[in-house]
Amino acid sequence: MTWRRLSIRVVYLGLIRLAMSLVTGYFGVAWRDDPVWPLVLGAVGGLIGASADLSRWQTTRFLITPERVEMRTGWISRKHRTVARDRIRSVDSSARLIPRLLGLRTVNIGSGDAETSFQLDSLDRGEAERVQRELMPGRGSAVSATFSPAVTSSTAAPASPAVTSSTAAPASPASPASTAAPASPGEASAPASPGEASAPSAPPHEDISDISGMSDEAETVIARLRRPWIWLNAFRIESAFALIAPVFALHWALRPFGVDLFRTARDLFGTDLRGIVLILLIAVPLGFAVAAVAFVIDNWNFELVRTGGALITRKGLFTTTTVQRSDERTRGIAFAEPLLTRRLRVTKTKLLLTGSAAGEGGGDILPRTRLEEARDLAAQILPDGARPLEAPLRRHPRGALVRRIGWAVYTPVLLAAALLPFPLPGWVWPLPFLLIPVTVPLAAIAYRSLGHTVQDDYLVVRDGALTRRTVALQNRAVIGWSLEQSLFQRWAGRMTVGIATAAGSRSYEAPDVSVDQAMTLIAEATPGLISVMTEPPATSSAASPAVSSAGEVSAC
Amino acid sequence: MNNSPPLPRPPRRPLDRRFVLWRTVDTLIWATVVLGALGAVWFFAEVTRPWVGPVLIVLAVVYAVHVAVMPSWRYRVHRWETTDDAVYALTGWLTHKWQIVPISRIQSIDTEIGPLQRMFGLATITVTTASSEGNIEIEGVSAADAADAVDRLREVTATTVGDAT
Repeated sequence: MTWRRLSIRVVYLGLIRLAMSLVTGYFGVAWRDDPVWPLVLGAVGGLIGASADLSRWQTTRFLITPERVEMRTGWISRKHRTVARDRIRSVDSSARLIPRLLGLRTVNIGSGDAETSFQLDSLDRGEAERVQRELMPGRGSAVSATFSPAVTSSTAAPASPAVTSSTAAPASPASPASTAAPASPGEASAPASPGEASAPSAPPHEDISDISGMSDEAETVIARLRRPWIWLNAFRIESAFALIAPVFALHWALRPFGVDLFRTARDLFGTDLRGIVLILLIAVPLGFAVAAVAFVIDNWNFELVRTGGALITRKGLFTTTTVQRSDERTRGIAFAEPLLTRRLRVTKTKLLLTGSAAGEGGGDILPRTRLEEARDLAAQILPDGARPLEAPLRRHPRGALVRRIGWAVYTPVLLAAALLPFPLPGWVWPLPFLLIPVTVPLAAIAYRSLGHTVQDDYLVVRDGALTRRTVALQNRAVIGWSLEQSLFQRWAGRMTVGIATAAGSRSYEAPDVSVDQAMTLIAEATPGLISVMTEPPATSSAASPAVSSAGEVSAC
Repeated sequence: MNNSPPLPRPPRRPLDRRFVLWRTVDTLIWATVVLGALGAVWFFAEVTRPWVGPVLIVLAVVYAVHVAVMPSWRYRVHRWETTDDAVYALTGWLTHKWQIVPISRIQSIDTEIGPLQRMFGLATITVTTASSEGNIEIEGVSAADAADAVDRLREVTATTVGDAT
């Protein structure tokens, strides 16, 4: 258990880069009478890079113990990072060309989020493989410093640089799913498109005979493509403009051949109002039609099934996409209802998955559907069959409405005031006032969206003006809380509750709840944590500054 | 004062007193750099004066307030503590922010000592989680306190089972 350092070859690499930069720099200055700036700049960049390499080698130490991994680095600014062994999710190594020629590897140790990983740049190849083996997830505290490769190599997974991401999520029960995949033999035989989290091996036809044998793992169909969905997904504001980009592309593509599409259009329809209306009358329905066709091609034979603890989506006409989501990774579900189609009760449904990169990763579980059917489907999509998204929500205090209307009014006013001191034409500065008739109704809509509650195992929050998002997150998925209180919120006794989670978009919010509601929310979702935040400060300690100023803080 | 419901209690430990000095010097340095750069633009490029001038004045006022009020105000507000169950911190000046993360959700523990912090014997402790919203940063703890706290956190974290997600 000693502090180790990076490979000495990092120094050689640094010295090589240093020498090369000096040579380039010399040529840059001495070659002609005037300095050749690209060469000089390249040399300066090389010098900085080389000294960064050297100082990194000089200052970096790392330590691997059975419980944790530590790294110290930095010279001007010192950094010391500790990661517990059982938090490590992935270990992989990589190398760029020149370091690889020198036998160097960069080892990346990931503990979930991209930024929390740390990087050992660089180690000797053998050392890198040893570190990878030592840190293989699941071999945590049991490993007692087995440095001899002979002992570990038999149990270690292929020590190739691709150990990552396969360990990032608890392995889903994939094999039964892949064998039971083709429910109807004629379809879904096209290869799964790459890039999506497709079933591991493309389902071969021979396996169909096996399905009868494994009836306990039978698929239950949750949803198939329904005809009304086509219209719900085609009639949206973006579809009306769907043709703009292709038309521009076509215009520029035809220009070299002497065809000016825009001029032709002008000649055909004229440039007056009638012509524009005519163009819109053709283009907008065409846009909807294109969107409808695109949706049908994308979602041909859309099918959402549950089998053996996983949800499987299959869809697509030309390329069949198969997406698999293990129930173990499900942490909640969310609806997103756009403002324009709120009256039609149209919603998009998203699944909150943990262990996937933020934003992407199979979150979109259903296309736009009617709210009623989305609710029924959501109950089947969630493994526990709960219906948290229908829970009655607690209203936020009236002050939240006042605050939103305040924003709606004073943002344009401030914008106008900010424009005043600048030398602009006189009619420019009042322009922001035109926004007020739009922002005030939006403020009211935003307030009406607000709501939160805890129902059984789920924490539910809702907000949003242009898109109303209702999010139901499992209580166990809550990592931590942040309570924020601005000056005005402090006077009015409100706060904004931030919910940190590893699933979905990584953080959700219950804006502008009363302090009471905030504490109730935390108490109901994470009973263990609320005691930390409410227990009275210890009176035994004589740490008077803490206690006396505690009064100050809560008084102001 | 209306009888509003009680806020979450403040965490127990205050920051080191040198925090005020550190943040004052830090803000002064930033103010000099930013105002200096903008001032140079204003001075040398006459065309830009009507545009840069108002920005310069507003920024000067903002920095003056920051240097005069912000560090000591923050010092009065900021509190932190680490227990066997959780890391709990209160930060901010105009806007207050309470943050709490249970030990079982901690992914990594960092101590960082910047050049200026080293001059004042201070350190920054950062606790990271699987969500950046859950990360807690405690700036301006004395280096010795930080080392103690991090050592303790390290022990507690290693013995607390959890996959941190």
